[in-house]
Amino acid sequence: MVNLKINGRDVQAQPEWTVLKAAQNAGITIPTLCNHKDLSPTGACRMCLVQVKGARGLTTSCTTPVAEGMEVVTENEELAKSRRSVLKLLLSVYHDAGYANNEADNELYRWARFYDLDPKKLMSPTPRYPIDQDPNPFVFVDLNKCILCTRCVRACAEVQGRFVWGISERGFESHLAAGMDQTMLEARCESCGACVAYCPTGALALKPSVYAPAAEKKVTTTCNYCGVGCQFDLNVADNQVVRVTSNPDAPANGMHLCVKGRFGYSYVHHQDRLTKPLVREYLLKGEARPSKKDRGPWVETDWDTALNLVAEKLAKTRDTYGPDSVGVLSSAKCTNEENYLMNKFARQVIGTNNIDHCARLCHASTVAGLATALGSGAMTNSMKDIAENANSIMVIGSNTTEQHPVFGSKIRQAVLRRGVKLIVADPRQIDLCEFAVLHLQQKPGTDIPLINGLMNIILEKGYVNTAFVEERTENFEAVVENVKLYPPEKVSKITGVPVEQLYQAVEIIVKNAPMAVFWAMGITQHTVGVHNVFALADLQMMLGNFGIPGGGVNPLRGQNNVQGACDMGCLVNVYPGYQAVTAEASQRKFEEAWGTSLSNKVGKTVTEIIPGVLEGTTKALYILGENPAMTDPDTNHIRHCLEELEFFALQDIFPTESSAYADVLLPGVSFVEKTGTYTSTERRVQMLHQAVTPRGEARQDWEIISDLARRIINLGGRRIYPTPWSGWNYSSPAEIMTEIAALTPSYGGISHQRLDAGESLCWPCPTPDHPGTPILHIGKFTRGKGNFIPAIHLDPAELPDEEYPMMLTTGRVIYHWHSGEQTRRVKELMEVYGEALIEVSPADAHKLGLNKEVNKVRVTSRRGSITAGAWVTDRVPEGLIYGNFHFPENNINYLTKAALDPIAKIPEFKVTAVKVEAVA
Amino acid sequence: MAENKYAKDETIRLVNEIVASTGTTRSDLIPILQKVTNNLGYISQDAIQQISALLKIPTREIASVATFYRMLSTQPRGRHVVQFCESAPCHIVGGREVYAALKSALQLEPGQTSADNKWTFITTSCLGICGVGPVILIDTDIHGNVTPDQVPGILAKYA
Repeated sequence: MVNLKINGRDVQAQPEWTVLKAAQNAGITIPTLCNHKDLSPTGACRMCLVQVKGARGLTTSCTTPVAEGMEVVTENEELAKSRRSVLKLLLSVYHDAGYANNEADNELYRWARFYDLDPKKLMSPTPRYPIDQDPNPFVFVDLNKCILCTRCVRACAEVQGRFVWGISERGFESHLAAGMDQTMLEARCESCGACVAYCPTGALALKPSVYAPAAEKKVTTTCNYCGVGCQFDLNVADNQVVRVTSNPDAPANGMHLCVKGRFGYSYVHHQDRLTKPLVREYLLKGEARPSKKDRGPWVETDWDTALNLVAEKLAKTRDTYGPDSVGVLSSAKCTNEENYLMNKFARQVIGTNNIDHCARLCHASTVAGLATALGSGAMTNSMKDIAENANSIMVIGSNTTEQHPVFGSKIRQAVLRRGVKLIVADPRQIDLCEFAVLHLQQKPGTDIPLINGLMNIILEKGYVNTAFVEERTENFEAVVENVKLYPPEKVSKITGVPVEQLYQAVEIIVKNAPMAVFWAMGITQHTVGVHNVFALADLQMMLGNFGIPGGGVNPLRGQNNVQGACDMGCLVNVYPGYQAVTAEASQRKFEEAWGTSLSNKVGKTVTEIIPGVLEGTTKALYILGENPAMTDPDTNHIRHCLEELEFFALQDIFPTESSAYADVLLPGVSFVEKTGTYTSTERRVQMLHQAVTPRGEARQDWEIISDLARRIINLGGRRIYPTPWSGWNYSSPAEIMTEIAALTPSYGGISHQRLDAGESLCWPCPTPDHPGTPILHIGKFTRGKGNFIPAIHLDPAELPDEEYPMMLTTGRVIYHWHSGEQTRRVKELMEVYGEALIEVSPADAHKLGLNKEVNKVRVTSRRGSITAGAWVTDRVPEGLIYGNFHFPENNINYLTKAALDPIAKIPEFKVTAVKVEAVA
Repeated sequence: MAENKYAKDETIRLVNEIVASTGTTRSDLIPILQKVTNNLGYISQDAIQQISALLKIPTREIASVATFYRMLSTQPRGRHVVQFCESAPCHIVGGREVYAALKSALQLEPGQTSADNKWTFITTSCLGICGVGPVILIDTDIHGNVTPDQVPGILAKYA
């Protein structure tokens, strides 16, 4: 510790602190404009000048390190005079046209007024630059309000890692400029809005809400796009969300957000929102359905009518065809509380384990693979831990900067700030490759040879962490035998990765331990998805990268609450907390808790329930917030199955592609209208808080599920005894969480009360005094010993041939979310990405004859054909194209194949054989 | 920025050569930019992009450097660059009149390039030879003790 005096007070500081930080830590405020705690100090604005005894002139406190015995004065008449002149100079070239309601946030005004200056009087009377000079739909640029503090420049470079902003020219002509004096988007801006969040004066503002009223209240909540678990403040005025602002206390993201989190909320107020229950006319009239394909017109109705109808239909289906004829699909967009209720609804009220959700389409392989290998199917370390402690990072099958943008920027930060060695393994040249020391560009569907090949070299070089393997794991020999079958030359031939790169990769990860591995859909969405996961778990066990800071296996979960939906038992084989339905003890536990007999037969998955319609095993569906007509493989087949359903109740916030096949539409509410919890990919359980009241007659989803459950129970047909947890009369989501905690050991200590008191809890959190578990498997794996399981390579189910010579791989783009029901209703996101584009390599574009006029491609697989715009880019190698599933008219899932992993039942979205033709 | 008058491939080849003969550290950036300006006439976007790729410096940072120094240009320039010193020592020994004569002879405002692409006229701060002010720098030729009536004759020397 260093001892110094500030304003005559004795203050202690860490040796690496600056005078400013020492003062702030002691509760002494020094005025600043260019400084921000998240950004490197630059000493540009001269507001933080202080007097240091013995120093010549005044000193910038933001850049001066503390020293033993230092005597500092932060406020006196001379300093006030200096600050007044700084403020006057800044104001002399500052012009505020007065259009925005952001005065309260303007730090220049605040300090001017603090030093008795009137900013409005002192500011320049004339503007020097056009207002709103950049066409970016998200960021409003008014350089008349820019004081050249360069917070935006540093935020873009240091937080987002994108380097869009800089200063052009010099002297009086100095001005903020994007890229090579380009527009922001030309300068590769990702529109994350970090520059806006850090701007002290409103020179950079949130364009969609520049003219919106000031907030009446700010409500802290959790984002509902990806699994990162960002928190932010919803700014509410007149029962509308008028803007989203950063909340510096957010545990996962701090001030940072991505384009969807900061700007993608306006769908919640979209005119398409469902506001009344809708029922098909034939049902109200008690007639037969017009035809299988045509369910006839919708009629608005009241909740009683709609819910009674659903209750009768579901109860009748259950009683006629048996409980397993009903499928229940829950939603990873909804809260833990709602997912818990869906699991209870299926198992207790209907009596089936046919309860599943979209995790089946994303990380089912991870959950199954890691549960077998380690005993727990979740991310082992937190992002913050990895960013701070990993010395190398391997990202395989994750386009992190687009799909988990805030984690993507944290990976970039780790590379920029700490020189972490990044290896990207991906068939595409994703953006993250720019930050990588090595890009292993394996062919799609060859991950197992790649990883086994790395382990082969680790064995050859004697790099195995023998102590870890002996003490913490079992079955190592089986993996040794297996990876011997993957020598480097053979691996190179299968994967297309040069032999020397395989050796380089091994050297990098071994010499820069600990290594953390990240993965996403590139690993899981294969017919060998579970084996892909085994391979990665094996690799990390072999290197001893478990149970330590900066290591681990880190699957990035897709949906905001897909982790929670799995935790809550919305899976065919487990109750909440991964308690197996086939285990007698857990069956008895839940039978006692819910007061009824439960099935011990593993249920049907998403990928079995819907195709089961044609086999006659599925008769009715109740879906909460999912859109299978867009998201499931082989869309034509899925739609055909939905047509054949006898009854289909859908609960959602919009009419979707799937609602065309529904008989009843129940209007639920969006994330800004509800309270509850989401569990992020870091296993972090976080609150969302209701900010606005629901539109029309839309009801809380937990109320709809409970109401429906009560009605079905009241119809009889299934005996439910009164027990502490058998009822459905919840008064609040908090009460549901109490029930969850009582029945789910890993959530045992979690309550809304603790979370609202500011605790940030990662499960397992078994008791109310438990602090949560940010790192899994410390000292011991969840299952005891880590289980080495040989990963065996099999070719993808469909490979290119003469008729379908190219390979298609699929995914999302940064500006859209899954089936696009939310993001296609956000005007600004549509402005930057308004139609589906297929990525085509320059070489293939040349072969196909693509040019300015002929700029579309027709892509055909054995199952369907779509036409979409071509984006010619070297992101994809020759022979591979990439498409997304955000737009109904050219949804890539018309082409994909429902080839399933035999264990996880996940479809192989990532490899499809196609033929491609150019179209004008 | 103006459109690149050089083919992209030609620019990339030239930048590759310059970088190969100069170096790839941050401190090599200014010499590289100077050589690009001298060879291409200005620093085009293609040039910045290629330098960025080779030096691993973001394009934005290169643009900041390129726009900061007057001897560098991100705009295409004429065959001859006329730089007029606008600092005080030149000013007080008759610089203002020379400036007026230059403007009228070239028919250009500072920062402009003539339609026939012959001349670019820019002002600069002190060239460090105040003893012979007023000073004009044309390309790399220094003209000192210039009087307004000498201006047409000086310009006539350039084809």
